[in-house]
Amino acid sequence: MENLKLKRLIGLSMAAVLLIGMTGCGGSKTSDNSSLSTSSLAQVKIDKPVTIEFWHAMTGPTEKELQKLADDFHKKNPNITVKLVGQGDYTTLSQKLMAAAKARTSPVMAQAYSNWMSDYISSDLLENLTPYYNDEKIGIKNKNDIVKSFLDDNTFNGKLYGVPFNKSTEVLIYNKDYLDKVGAKVPQTWDELKEVAKETTTTINGKKVIGLGFENSVTGDLATYVKQAGGEYVTDKGQVKFNSKAGKKALQFLTDMLVTDKTARLAGEDNFMSTPFGRGDVAMYIGSSAGVSYINDAVKGKFNWSTAVLPKDEDAASSFQGTNVVIFKNATAEEKVAAWEFGKFLASDQETAEWAEKTGYVPVTQSALKSEEWESYIKKNPDQQAAVDQFDNGFIDPHLNGYTKLRTDVSTVFNDVLIGKKSVSDGLNDAEKAAKQDLEQQ
Amino acid sequence: MNKKITLKSSLKAYLYLLPAVAVIGVFVIYPLIKSFFMSFYVKYDYFKDKVYVYGIDNYKTVLSDPVFWHAMRNTMIFVIGVVPISIIISILIALMLNSKIKFGGLFRTCFFMPYVTSLVAVSIVWRWIYHKDYGILNYFLGIFGVHPIAWLDNPDVSMIALIILSIWKNIGYNVIIFLAGLQTIDKQYELAAQIDGAHYFKRVWNIVIPLLSPTTFFVAIVSVIGSFKIFDEVYALFNSGGGMAGPSDSALTVVFYIFRKFYGEWNFGVASAASFILFLVIMVFTVAQFCYARKRG
Amino acid sequence: MDKKLKKGISTCILYLLLIIGSIIMILPFYWMIATSLKTSSEVLKMPPMWIPTSWKWSNFAEAWKAAPFARYFLNTVIVTVFSTLGELVTSILAAYAFYRLEFYGKKVIFSILLGTMMIPGEMLLMSNFVTLTQLGWINTYQALIVPWTASAFSIFMFRQYFSTIGDELYYAARIDGSKDFGYLINIILPMSKPMIITIVIIKAIGSWNSFMWPLVVTNSENMRTLSVGLTAFITDTGTNYQLLMAASTFIILPMIIVFLVMQKYIIEGISHAGIKG
Repeated sequence: MENLKLKRLIGLSMAAVLLIGMTGCGGSKTSDNSSLSTSSLAQVKIDKPVTIEFWHAMTGPTEKELQKLADDFHKKNPNITVKLVGQGDYTTLSQKLMAAAKARTSPVMAQAYSNWMSDYISSDLLENLTPYYNDEKIGIKNKNDIVKSFLDDNTFNGKLYGVPFNKSTEVLIYNKDYLDKVGAKVPQTWDELKEVAKETTTTINGKKVIGLGFENSVTGDLATYVKQAGGEYVTDKGQVKFNSKAGKKALQFLTDMLVTDKTARLAGEDNFMSTPFGRGDVAMYIGSSAGVSYINDAVKGKFNWSTAVLPKDEDAASSFQGTNVVIFKNATAEEKVAAWEFGKFLASDQETAEWAEKTGYVPVTQSALKSEEWESYIKKNPDQQAAVDQFDNGFIDPHLNGYTKLRTDVSTVFNDVLIGKKSVSDGLNDAEKAAKQDLEQQ
Repeated sequence: MNKKITLKSSLKAYLYLLPAVAVIGVFVIYPLIKSFFMSFYVKYDYFKDKVYVYGIDNYKTVLSDPVFWHAMRNTMIFVIGVVPISIIISILIALMLNSKIKFGGLFRTCFFMPYVTSLVAVSIVWRWIYHKDYGILNYFLGIFGVHPIAWLDNPDVSMIALIILSIWKNIGYNVIIFLAGLQTIDKQYELAAQIDGAHYFKRVWNIVIPLLSPTTFFVAIVSVIGSFKIFDEVYALFNSGGGMAGPSDSALTVVFYIFRKFYGEWNFGVASAASFILFLVIMVFTVAQFCYARKRG
Repeated sequence: MDKKLKKGISTCILYLLLIIGSIIMILPFYWMIATSLKTSSEVLKMPPMWIPTSWKWSNFAEAWKAAPFARYFLNTVIVTVFSTLGELVTSILAAYAFYRLEFYGKKVIFSILLGTMMIPGEMLLMSNFVTLTQLGWINTYQALIVPWTASAFSIFMFRQYFSTIGDELYYAARIDGSKDFGYLINIILPMSKPMIITIVIIKAIGSWNSFMWPLVVTNSENMRTLSVGLTAFITDTGTNYQLLMAASTFIILPMIIVFLVMQKYIIEGISHAGIKG
């Protein structure tokens, strides 16, 4: 029957058209894979509207503040639109960035830890920002105003590959009311910390309290404690030095509290210590100064709390944490310049101070730190003082190829120790082996 | 009227098959083959898509990786431990639902409901139920004098937490299939046995269970294959994000291992090799089950 | 009297077991809804508060606004509808071919299709991701829909169902002069309504609840489906279990309603699978 044949033909051709139509719906990027040199930078003008994507891992209150800064930026730069794309957490962000890099669909800019940057740079994915910093028109006039450690964090082989953005240090956060209740003073040394942890591991106001808390990431951040014990972790030259007396002391210090005395706990299933702290489950915890906004949310004024510098042992040490803003090569010249402008904006005195005040991260320039606004803010919020006080004792991760994997592998081993599944000496030996392997494979 | 196979009839058939085969070809068969080739990429630059070294080293790496065997061990716990237990429980529930009781439909609905819900959403609820300090599971256990258990933080019990969630979520499916199977068993057999005066459990054991075997076989195959693939539950329950599968990796399964090699370590060669090893294992088990069933007739 | 007593006791035990079993299955859902209606301090009460006293319905509104759930909802609906339609079309066509048509390689192709059911999807994830990037489909609806528009399982199910439809109708239609396609559309399709409904429901539920695939192929907020959005929301809210539970409720509720309404078909369809399998 003619009718049915026709029907079938129409049906099939429609299907074919649909299939073809769908394949056509993909955009291809006109991308410029070469870095811009100083001279060509000057020729880039943003005279047409440019939209760039900024992938980040900020959530909740910090994400809101980031959006506000983006909106402020938009008012000053009407031709540029920064689309903020939150990826949830740093692990997801890292995975998405790698996946996008392979697919050649990298966003124009993103947050990145310095050890991610090592990996990206060795795969030639990042735009060299040195010409941008030094550019007469759009550069950062006084780049030495940026806190030296932060600038170093962005320097690879003498070249700058990022702009510092959300930096923080670790501080000791404590529940004033609990400490007062047991009559304890804010601990300043390891011994005092152990003592206070013991004293506050008790029942307070009918609630079972544990003295001290550590973030789950402490397993990868043992460097802080090794350094406090007077030792070295992994040097800039790639020597693995944590399997030492100091390393043993540090790991033992943590294990005693977490496993033996049970006067400390990890965040565990609660993911971040701010949650149980807000519930009143712990008296103190060591965590990022940037947790402030989250702590406020969690505590909701139920009790008084504040921060203090990390207790020290032989030395005082606190790691600088947080990310930098990087720009991917796989973008047009205009997009890269637009991204640079935003990164620069975030690092400029006024903005970095505002960012710090609203989130608990620290300002990244000396001028911002010395500014009247910041000083008066600190006066009104003395609990943010601790973060800044530790600048002199702050340290950054070494820039080594394979460091990201090192962190993961070492973290797995130390995790076993801190939950009591492995002995301290076995842990140090295994971690050293894994670390050396990871660095060698580069 | 016998239909002959002709070129014309074949072409016509291929046209009917085209849409399905196109999709399955591109998204299942092609990646499978590509994956097979990738398993021989020993040194592979992910960004430049250049293979530097070919070889079977990836297979050696996987088979000598203690983490892989740890994952395999966990997966086997599911295959050899959980599947039989879950089948037994499903049969028991189906038997209960099949007896003459009121509200049969209501009970059936209750048992099946978890199956249709979103795993992510349900895992969030279970995470709260499993919480060491505020979860209702520890509360109930506390009534019987059991100390609070850190279900999600203690590597010794994390697998149990995973198993409970997995069984709770999926048992409805098995129950329904067994119910259907039970209902097709000729009532005559049962009546005959009843008249003979046989005890209920004897009846069940000697008549119902054997008659149920085709259904049991089907459920067994589907469950075994399914349990080899366990991944979503681990990811959702422990919110791992590609990091550790449960505390200290205690809930690591083979598919999770594969996923981590792909999406976390970007080591496609090793991930592909591990996938193929898994695929072979699944095939062996499935074929073994078929042979066993055939032998038993 | 003795036998009757025995029977009475065993019936009691039966009901008891079933009730306990049902409660275990349903309790988490009750707990989810109850928690959604609590204030943040009530959530943490120990011993647990079984019946919410504050009835904070506002939690639902707050959770809805806390993340673009409306958009996630829309995306999930679009993806579910189109992949289900797609699968129906491809499966019915293919199943018909296996059922009625004769062609070279019929057995081989069928076996290969069956074999694909043993493959874990996560294994194919990376290769498919690369394919999608080559097509330029990352972060688009196509990526979420197209790979799911065919399923060996559905083909198998339809073929089994078709084989229960007698040959007489076919020969009768043939005598009438209608060709295969006409027979498919005019006779088979209407008669397969139950199976179609079953497959639609199973597929829709699967699509609604899927999360690994959308997680990997979407990057931006506006393409996320409900499950992915929920995963992101977990990190966002952290402390707020009452909001998390409220959000979980939005996602679970539609499927429960669909299930309650369509129970008969779902259960019939799955039973069918068991018997024929």
